Formats: sequence, structure tokens, C-alpha cells
Amino acid sequence: MAYEPHITSAYDRDLEEIQTTIMKMGGLVETAIMSAADSLESRDEELALHVREGDAVIDRLEEQVNEACARTIALRQPAAGDLRTILTVMKISTNLERIGDYAKNMAKRTSVLVQMNPIEDSAGSIRRMAKQVEIMLTDALDAYIQRDPELAEDVRQRDMDVDQMYNSLFRNFLTHMMEDPRNITACMHLHFIAKNIERMGDHVTSIAEQVIYLVSGEMPGDNRPKRDMTPFEKTETRL
Amino acid sequence: MAEEKMPEQFSVDPSVNEHEIKFHCENCQVYYGENHAIKDVEVDLLDKTVTAFIGPSGCGKSTFLRCLNRMNDTIDVARVEGTFQLDGEEIYDKQVDPVQLRAKVGMVFQKPNPFPKSIYDNVAYGPKIHGLTKSKAELDELVEKALRRGAIWDEVKDRLDAPGTGLSGGQQQRLCIARAVATEPEVLLMDEPCSALDPIATAQVEELIDELRENYSVVIVTHSMQQAARVSQKTAFFHLGNLVEYDDTGTIFTNPKDPRTESYITGRIG
Repeated sequence: MAYEPHITSAYDRDLEEIQTTIMKMGGLVETAIMSAADSLESRDEELALHVREGDAVIDRLEEQVNEACARTIALRQPAAGDLRTILTVMKISTNLERIGDYAKNMAKRTSVLVQMNPIEDSAGSIRRMAKQVEIMLTDALDAYIQRDPELAEDVRQRDMDVDQMYNSLFRNFLTHMMEDPRNITACMHLHFIAKNIERMGDHVTSIAEQVIYLVSGEMPGDNRPKRDMTPFEKTETRL
Repeated sequence: MAEEKMPEQFSVDPSVNEHEIKFHCENCQVYYGENHAIKDVEVDLLDKTVTAFIGPSGCGKSTFLRCLNRMNDTIDVARVEGTFQLDGEEIYDKQVDPVQLRAKVGMVFQKPNPFPKSIYDNVAYGPKIHGLTKSKAELDELVEKALRRGAIWDEVKDRLDAPGTGLSGGQQQRLCIARAVATEPEVLLMDEPCSALDPIATAQVEELIDELRENYSVVIVTHSMQQAARVSQKTAFFHLGNLVEYDDTGTIFTNPKDPRTESYITGRIG
């Protein structure tokens, strides 16, 4: 950590333990994202099942982080930077847990989708989108460890790309569904998967914002470019 | 949506900073012989506000507190320089009588120090020597009012003639606070008022400090950072004779600007 050690070294050990747990959680979530996307692309039912089962571990780690944070607040009354660390860690663990849930949901839908005909290259596009989010997550967690607000801000800005990928997939699925109603079931599942990844991006953005708060003591302002409104346009006007 | 009014930023008590300045201190220096104990301190203490002085032992917080009612006059080797204005008037001016000043700027010490007299006389002593009352009835009234303000009236009203030294530690300290407010001061200085008290007595004194804020400017020196966080609206952090940082208590404890403040309040080596 960037700070000098506490006089009470047990305090540092507690914070260290929390840090280790959250990084372990981050690693598992990164793997879950990519495994879910890979299982969809390679139509690997076993891998999808593995992701679904692995989510319980992530949930358990979140509980551990919360317990450790509650204990630290009760026993050590953290202030200033220590307090912000605890607050940040609690939110990051919630975000990671949610991302884990989305990965699990992706894997669930994959188990259904492997029974159907694939929709052109959608699995590839989804994999690329997932990869983008996974890299953002890695960077956001690096920014947390290194207390690097610039890297965090960069992650925040990159969420735009994820949103754009989602919007283009949204158009794509709409087109497929209109072309052939037999595609609707698969496209609905794929759309939910894309939406899940888009939401993962939002959670990663939230982690990046927490890092900025951790370092500066203030939440970043709303200086991101406005979103594409594609999903809210009416279908008729788009034909 | 954009039309909607944004909620105001959360703060413990944003109105505090609008309170009037009670004490204006500038360019303050204190020397104990060769030792430069207070260096260039500049601070405005607000009326109707609890200000906490925190810092490691020997940082000068008690020394500075004692400047505010000229307690350092009693120490031969101590030399005080700079501006100390109470309501715009210099307290180190030759025309100011330190005894009168101390009636206006009361003090409560670390160890409860009631006089070896009855509870009644402990409180009545100040008003008597300052001639604040004309009759016994008036004095009785003043004593009751002070004991009520000290949040101890209900506990002692039936034994006002009992010796003050027979009370428990927490009661003694509240008696001392009642004694300090009996002379109708404007500022109350407290030098670690709870360090000799148990947690319950501490909580009672802290509750009392919060009530006193309505009428007085309270300045408290404390070693307990949690206490500073609990009772004060403004916090000043002293280190090696310097006033390092002075800000809203909420800001000091969540987002201090100076790394030395951060090190101290988070329990690192400062």
C-alpha cells in the first residue's frame, strides 16, 4: 500500500487480508466473464456449467469482504484514507459480485443456446465485447491496487465503447428477428447476454469511480459523453 | 429530469461556518525559555461552535488553549506573542484584567478539581467574588441555573451542602463545568475534560458539551480522536507547534488535506 504502516500492525494485517480477498474475487470474476463468453462461442456446455457453479465461490468471498469490513469498522474506527478504503472495498465487492451474477446468467443462457442454430457471428461479437469488459475490469482493479486515478478515468471513458458494441448488437439482433421469426428465441437470449455484458461494463465503471473517490475523496463528475440512444428509438422509424 | 433540483451536499452541520468569529488569533508565538512551543498559529474560533484541538503529546495544543485565557501568565518562563482578539479586543492588552478575562473565558481541566467546599459553594464562589448577584435568593437561582447547565442538578439538588469532593469523578467534572458556567462566560476552554472519566461519564459530559454549544464557544483539547469527531464541528490539528490543518470536523476525518493530519488520525506515525 502507498501509505506508511500503522502503529498497530494488526490493523495493517486486517487491511491486507481484505485487499487479498478482493483481488481473489476480481481474478475469479475476470475468469468467469471470459469463460462464459468462450463457452458461448465454442458451444461448450461443460464450461458453461463450470461458470454457473463457480459463482457460489464469488458470493462467498463477497460475504467475507463484508464481514471483514464490518469487523474493521467496529474494532478500529477507520478514518480518512483508511475509511475511504473500507467504503471503496465494500462497493467494489458488491460490483464484482453483480458482475459474477451476470456471467452466471450468460452461462445459463449459453446452456440453452447450444441447443439452437447459431446466429451468424453473434457469438464472436459477444466474445469481443466480453473481452473489452474483462480488460477494463483488469485495469480498474490495477488502478485500485496502484491508487491510480488516471487509469481509473481511462477505464471510465472506455465504457462508451462497450455501450456502442451493445447498440450495434442490438440493431443486429433486431434485424435477424425481423428477417426470420424463428430466430426470435435465440436472439432474445443473445440480446440478454449482450445486455448483461453492457451492465458489467457499468459495474466496472462504478469500480473505476470508486478508485477516483478513494484517491481524491470526491466522486468524479458526470463528464462522460452522452450515450447513444439507439435502444430507445422506435422500430418503425428505423426501417 | 434536468429541471429537478439537486439535493444539497451532505454535511454534518453546514451552518456552523456562518457563525460569528469569537476568537481571532494571528501570528501567535509561545516560547518556554528557548523552546519555541507555538509557531505562527493563525486561527479563527467560531461562536456557538465546538472546536477540537487534536495532536500528539507536546504538539502545543494545550499551550495554545491556555493562551486563550492567559493561563500562561502564571508560568514565569512562558512568553506569548501575537494577536489574540476576543470579540475584536486584544486580550493581552495592558488594560485587560486577567481575572476578569478568565470569568469570560472559563476553563475546565483534565482532572476534576472541585474546591474542598460544599457543592453549593463550589458554584457560588465565582459569582460571589465577581459580585454578580445582589441577594441570597439571586445567588440561589444562579447556582441552580449553573448546576442545571452542568447537567448535574437532578443528582445533587438534595445535597447541596455535601462536599463537592464526595461526588463521583464524572459528577465532579460536571460540577466543575457548572462552576465554570456560573460566571456567565462566553468561551469555555476544556483541557481533556474526559480523560479521567469512565465511558458513561464521558458520554454524559459529551452530551453536555453539545448542549453548551447553544450558548458558548467551546474549545476542547482531546487525545481521543473519536471524541473530537463526536463532539466538535471544527477540528484543528497541531503538530510540533504548528497548526497543520483547521477545517470542518467531517472533512478532517474523511478527507484531510495534509498528509501529516492523515497519518495522525489514521494511527500511523506522524
